[in-house]
Amino acid sequence: MSRTSFHILRVGLAITFLWIGVLIFKEPEAWGGFIQPWVADLVPISIKQAMIGTAFLDIVIGILLLIDSLVWLAALVAAGHLFVVLTVSGINEVTVRDIGILAAALTLMVDSLPKNFIDKINSTGLTSRD
Amino acid sequence: MTSFALLFTLASIGISETVYLIRTRINSEKPVCLIGDDCMTVLSSRYSKFFFIHNDVLGLLVYIIISLIAALLVIGVSPIPLWSLFIKILVSIASIASFVFTYLQWRVIRVWCFWCLMSAFTIWLMGLIVLISSLI
Repeated sequence: MSRTSFHILRVGLAITFLWIGVLIFKEPEAWGGFIQPWVADLVPISIKQAMIGTAFLDIVIGILLLIDSLVWLAALVAAGHLFVVLTVSGINEVTVRDIGILAAALTLMVDSLPKNFIDKINSTGLTSRD
Repeated sequence: MTSFALLFTLASIGISETVYLIRTRINSEKPVCLIGDDCMTVLSSRYSKFFFIHNDVLGLLVYIIISLIAALLVIGVSPIPLWSLFIKILVSIASIASFVFTYLQWRVIRVWCFWCLMSAFTIWLMGLIVLISSLI
Protein backbone atom coordinates (compact mmCIF):
# COMPACT_ATOMS: atom_id res chain seq x y z
CA MET A 1 0.00 0.00 0.00
CA SER A 2 1.31 3.49 -0.80
CA ARG A 3 2.01 5.79 2.15
CA THR A 4 -0.67 8.24 1.00
CA SER A 5 -3.32 5.47 0.90
CA PHE A 6 -2.14 4.22 4.28
CA HIS A 7 -2.51 7.66 5.90
CA ILE A 8 -5.95 8.28 4.32
CA LEU A 9 -7.14 4.91 5.66
CA ARG A 10 -5.52 5.56 9.07
CA VAL A 11 -7.13 9.00 9.57
CA GLY A 12 -10.49 7.83 8.21
CA LEU A 13 -10.55 4.86 10.57
CA ALA A 14 -9.39 7.07 13.47
CA ILE A 15 -12.29 9.50 12.94
CA THR A 16 -14.74 6.58 12.73
CA PHE A 17 -13.59 5.13 16.06
CA LEU A 18 -13.46 8.53 17.79
CA TRP A 19 -16.93 9.47 16.58
CA ILE A 20 -18.44 6.09 17.53
CA GLY A 21 -16.89 6.51 21.00
CA VAL A 22 -18.51 9.94 21.39
CA LEU A 23 -21.90 8.63 20.19
CA ILE A 24 -21.76 5.69 22.63
CA PHE A 25 -20.99 8.14 25.46
CA LYS A 26 -24.11 10.07 24.46
CA GLU A 27 -26.49 7.10 24.66
CA PRO A 28 -24.79 4.03 26.17
CA GLU A 29 -28.10 2.26 26.91
CA ALA A 30 -29.32 2.68 23.33
CA TRP A 31 -26.06 1.24 21.96
CA GLY A 32 -26.38 -1.60 24.48
CA GLY A 33 -29.54 -2.59 22.63
CA PHE A 34 -27.36 -4.07 19.90
CA ILE A 35 -26.03 -6.69 22.32
CA GLN A 36 -27.68 -10.09 22.01
CA PRO A 37 -29.55 -11.29 25.17
CA TRP A 38 -27.31 -14.36 25.57
CA VAL A 39 -24.24 -12.07 25.75
CA ALA A 40 -25.91 -9.70 28.25
CA ASP A 41 -26.41 -12.67 30.58
CA LEU A 42 -22.72 -13.54 30.39
CA VAL A 43 -21.37 -10.02 31.11
CA PRO A 44 -20.71 -9.53 34.88
CA ILE A 45 -21.26 -5.73 34.72
CA SER A 46 -24.28 -3.68 33.63
CA ILE A 47 -24.80 -3.08 29.92
CA LYS A 48 -24.35 0.68 30.49
CA GLN A 49 -20.96 0.13 32.15
CA ALA A 50 -19.91 -2.27 29.39
CA MET A 51 -20.85 0.28 26.74
CA ILE A 52 -18.99 3.12 28.52
CA GLY A 53 -15.92 0.85 28.62
CA THR A 54 -16.39 0.22 24.89
CA ALA A 55 -16.60 3.98 24.28
CA PHE A 56 -13.29 4.51 26.13
CA LEU A 57 -11.67 1.72 24.09
CA ASP A 58 -12.97 3.19 20.82
CA ILE A 59 -11.62 6.65 21.72
CA VAL A 60 -8.18 5.29 22.71
CA ILE A 61 -7.99 3.34 19.41
CA GLY A 62 -9.04 6.49 17.54
CA ILE A 63 -6.44 8.69 19.25
CA LEU A 64 -3.59 6.21 18.58
CA LEU A 65 -4.57 5.93 14.90
CA LEU A 66 -4.97 9.70 14.58
CA ILE A 67 -1.56 10.59 16.04
CA ASP A 68 0.14 7.77 14.09
CA SER A 69 1.48 6.03 17.23
CA LEU A 70 1.42 2.26 17.80
CA VAL A 71 -0.78 1.97 14.72
CA TRP A 72 -0.28 -1.81 14.46
CA LEU A 73 -1.41 -2.30 18.08
CA ALA A 74 -4.38 0.06 17.75
CA ALA A 75 -5.42 -1.66 14.50
CA LEU A 76 -4.99 -5.11 16.10
CA VAL A 77 -7.20 -4.11 19.07
CA ALA A 78 -9.67 -2.49 16.65
CA ALA A 79 -9.89 -5.69 14.59
CA GLY A 80 -10.36 -7.79 17.74
CA HIS A 81 -12.96 -5.36 19.03
CA LEU A 82 -14.89 -5.46 15.74
CA PHE A 83 -14.74 -9.24 15.70
CA VAL A 84 -16.32 -9.22 19.19
CA VAL A 85 -18.93 -6.65 18.05
CA LEU A 86 -19.93 -8.85 15.10
CA THR A 87 -20.12 -11.85 17.43
CA VAL A 88 -22.20 -10.24 20.20
CA SER A 89 -24.45 -8.17 17.92
CA GLY A 90 -24.78 -10.54 15.02
CA ILE A 91 -24.65 -9.38 11.42
CA ASN A 92 -27.63 -7.11 10.72
CA GLU A 93 -28.37 -4.05 8.53
CA VAL A 94 -26.26 -1.86 10.88
CA THR A 95 -23.35 -4.11 11.80
CA VAL A 96 -22.83 -5.37 8.23
CA ARG A 97 -20.69 -2.25 7.67
CA ASP A 98 -18.41 -3.40 10.48
CA ILE A 99 -17.13 -6.10 8.09
CA GLY A 100 -15.63 -3.30 5.97
CA ILE A 101 -14.19 -1.54 9.03
CA LEU A 102 -12.76 -4.87 10.25
CA ALA A 103 -11.08 -5.38 6.86
CA ALA A 104 -9.69 -1.82 6.99
CA ALA A 105 -8.31 -2.38 10.52
CA LEU A 106 -6.66 -5.65 9.44
CA THR A 107 -5.14 -3.90 6.41
CA LEU A 108 -3.67 -1.16 8.63
CA MET A 109 -2.33 -3.73 11.09
CA VAL A 110 -0.63 -5.82 8.40
CA ASP A 111 0.84 -2.70 6.77
CA SER A 112 2.21 -1.22 10.00
CA LEU A 113 3.64 -4.28 11.76
CA PRO A 114 7.04 -3.54 13.38
CA LYS A 115 10.02 -4.40 11.15
CA ASN A 116 11.59 -6.77 13.72
CA PHE A 117 8.32 -8.73 13.89
CA ILE A 118 8.24 -9.07 10.08
CA ASP A 119 11.92 -10.11 10.10
CA LYS A 120 11.12 -12.76 12.71
CA ILE A 121 8.28 -14.14 10.55
CA ASN A 122 10.54 -14.10 7.49
CA SER A 123 13.29 -15.95 9.37
CA THR A 124 10.88 -18.77 10.20
CA GLY A 125 10.31 -19.23 6.45
CA LEU A 126 6.56 -18.76 6.76
CA THR A 127 6.47 -16.06 4.09
CA SER A 128 7.89 -15.74 0.60
CA ARG A 129 11.18 -13.85 0.45
CA ASP A 130 10.81 -12.60 -3.12
CA MET B 1 -25.70 17.22 15.27
CA THR B 2 -24.47 17.13 11.66
CA SER B 3 -22.57 20.40 12.08
CA PHE B 4 -20.82 19.09 15.21
CA ALA B 5 -19.98 15.83 13.43
CA LEU B 6 -18.43 17.84 10.58
CA LEU B 7 -16.53 20.08 13.01
CA PHE B 8 -15.27 17.03 14.89
CA THR B 9 -14.17 15.36 11.63
CA LEU B 10 -12.35 18.47 10.40
CA ALA B 11 -10.72 19.02 13.80
CA SER B 12 -9.53 15.39 13.77
CA ILE B 13 -7.99 15.89 10.31
CA GLY B 14 -6.32 19.02 11.71
CA ILE B 15 -4.94 17.06 14.66
CA SER B 16 -3.37 14.46 12.35
CA GLU B 17 -1.87 17.24 10.18
CA THR B 18 -0.34 19.17 13.06
CA VAL B 19 0.94 16.03 14.79
CA TYR B 20 2.70 15.14 11.51
CA LEU B 21 4.26 18.62 11.28
CA ILE B 22 5.36 18.59 14.94
CA ARG B 23 6.88 15.11 14.52
CA THR B 24 8.83 16.05 11.37
CA ARG B 25 10.07 19.26 13.04
CA ILE B 26 11.22 17.43 16.20
CA ASN B 27 12.97 14.74 14.09
CA SER B 28 14.51 17.47 11.88
CA GLU B 29 12.91 15.86 8.83
CA LYS B 30 11.58 17.58 5.72
CA PRO B 31 7.79 17.27 5.46
CA VAL B 32 6.29 15.85 2.27
CA CYS B 33 5.22 18.87 0.23
CA LEU B 34 2.63 17.72 -2.31
CA ILE B 35 1.78 21.14 -3.76
CA GLY B 36 3.81 24.33 -3.71
CA ASP B 37 7.49 25.15 -3.91
CA ASP B 38 9.06 24.43 -0.58
CA CYS B 39 7.13 23.95 2.67
CA MET B 40 10.36 24.29 4.68
CA THR B 41 10.80 27.91 3.59
CA VAL B 42 7.48 28.75 5.24
CA LEU B 43 7.73 26.36 8.18
CA SER B 44 11.19 27.65 9.16
CA SER B 45 10.45 31.34 8.51
CA ARG B 46 10.34 33.97 11.26
CA TYR B 47 6.52 33.79 11.06
CA SER B 48 6.44 30.12 12.09
CA LYS B 49 6.25 31.10 15.76
CA PHE B 50 3.81 33.23 17.72
CA PHE B 51 5.08 34.42 21.11
CA PHE B 52 7.86 31.76 21.03
CA ILE B 53 5.31 28.97 20.45
CA HIS B 54 5.42 27.12 17.13
CA ASN B 55 2.31 27.59 14.99
CA ASP B 56 1.93 23.80 14.63
CA VAL B 57 1.64 23.47 18.44
CA LEU B 58 -0.89 26.32 18.58
CA GLY B 59 -2.83 24.69 15.73
CA LEU B 60 -2.83 21.34 17.51
CA LEU B 61 -4.20 22.97 20.68
CA VAL B 62 -6.95 24.73 18.74
CA TYR B 63 -7.95 21.53 16.92
CA ILE B 64 -7.97 19.50 20.17
CA ILE B 65 -10.15 22.13 21.92
CA ILE B 66 -12.57 22.29 18.96
CA SER B 67 -12.90 18.49 18.81
CA LEU B 68 -13.44 18.29 22.58
CA ILE B 69 -16.11 21.01 22.55
CA ALA B 70 -17.85 19.38 19.55
CA ALA B 71 -17.84 16.07 21.45
CA LEU B 72 -19.21 17.73 24.63
CA LEU B 73 -21.97 19.40 22.59
CA VAL B 74 -22.97 16.07 21.03
CA ILE B 75 -22.96 14.24 24.38
CA GLY B 76 -25.00 17.12 25.84
CA VAL B 77 -22.70 18.19 28.67
CA SER B 78 -23.82 21.47 30.31
CA PRO B 79 -23.51 24.44 29.86
CA ILE B 80 -24.37 23.92 26.16
CA PRO B 81 -24.91 27.65 25.25
CA LEU B 82 -21.46 28.47 26.65
CA TRP B 83 -19.74 25.64 24.71
CA SER B 84 -21.60 26.73 21.58
CA LEU B 85 -20.47 30.34 22.01
CA PHE B 86 -16.91 29.26 22.81
CA ILE B 87 -16.60 27.10 19.67
CA LYS B 88 -17.90 30.00 17.51
CA ILE B 89 -15.37 32.44 19.02
CA LEU B 90 -12.51 29.95 18.66
CA VAL B 91 -13.30 29.12 15.01
CA SER B 92 -13.67 32.86 14.23
CA ILE B 93 -10.26 33.69 15.75
CA ALA B 94 -8.66 30.71 13.99
CA SER B 95 -10.22 31.79 10.66
CA ILE B 96 -8.79 35.31 11.01
CA ALA B 97 -5.37 33.88 11.97
CA SER B 98 -5.50 31.62 8.88
CA PHE B 99 -6.20 34.66 6.68
CA VAL B 100 -3.13 36.40 8.17
CA PHE B 101 -0.90 33.33 7.65
CA THR B 102 -2.15 32.86 4.08
CA TYR B 103 -1.47 36.55 3.35
CA LEU B 104 2.06 36.13 4.76
CA GLN B 105 2.70 33.19 2.40
CA TRP B 106 1.25 35.07 -0.57
CA ARG B 107 2.76 38.53 -0.15
CA VAL B 108 5.60 38.41 2.38
CA ILE B 109 7.33 35.00 2.16
CA ARG B 110 6.07 34.53 -1.42
CA VAL B 111 6.13 30.73 -1.13
CA TRP B 112 3.13 28.42 -0.74
CA CYS B 113 3.17 25.71 1.91
CA PHE B 114 0.85 22.75 1.27
CA TRP B 115 0.27 21.89 4.96
CA CYS B 116 -0.32 25.53 5.94
CA LEU B 117 -2.87 25.95 3.14
CA MET B 118 -4.56 22.67 4.03
CA SER B 119 -4.85 23.81 7.64
CA ALA B 120 -6.22 27.19 6.53
CA PHE B 121 -8.86 25.55 4.31
CA THR B 122 -9.78 23.18 7.17
CA ILE B 123 -10.34 26.16 9.48
CA TRP B 124 -12.27 28.15 6.86
CA LEU B 125 -14.50 25.15 6.19
CA MET B 126 -15.18 25.01 9.94
CA GLY B 127 -16.02 28.71 9.85
CA LEU B 128 -18.43 28.12 6.97
CA ILE B 129 -20.10 25.25 8.86
CA VAL B 130 -20.46 27.39 12.01
CA LEU B 131 -21.88 30.27 9.91
CA ILE B 132 -24.38 28.10 8.02
CA SER B 133 -25.52 26.24 11.18
CA SER B 134 -26.08 29.62 12.92
CA LEU B 135 -28.23 30.84 10.04
CA ILE B 136 -30.37 27.70 9.75
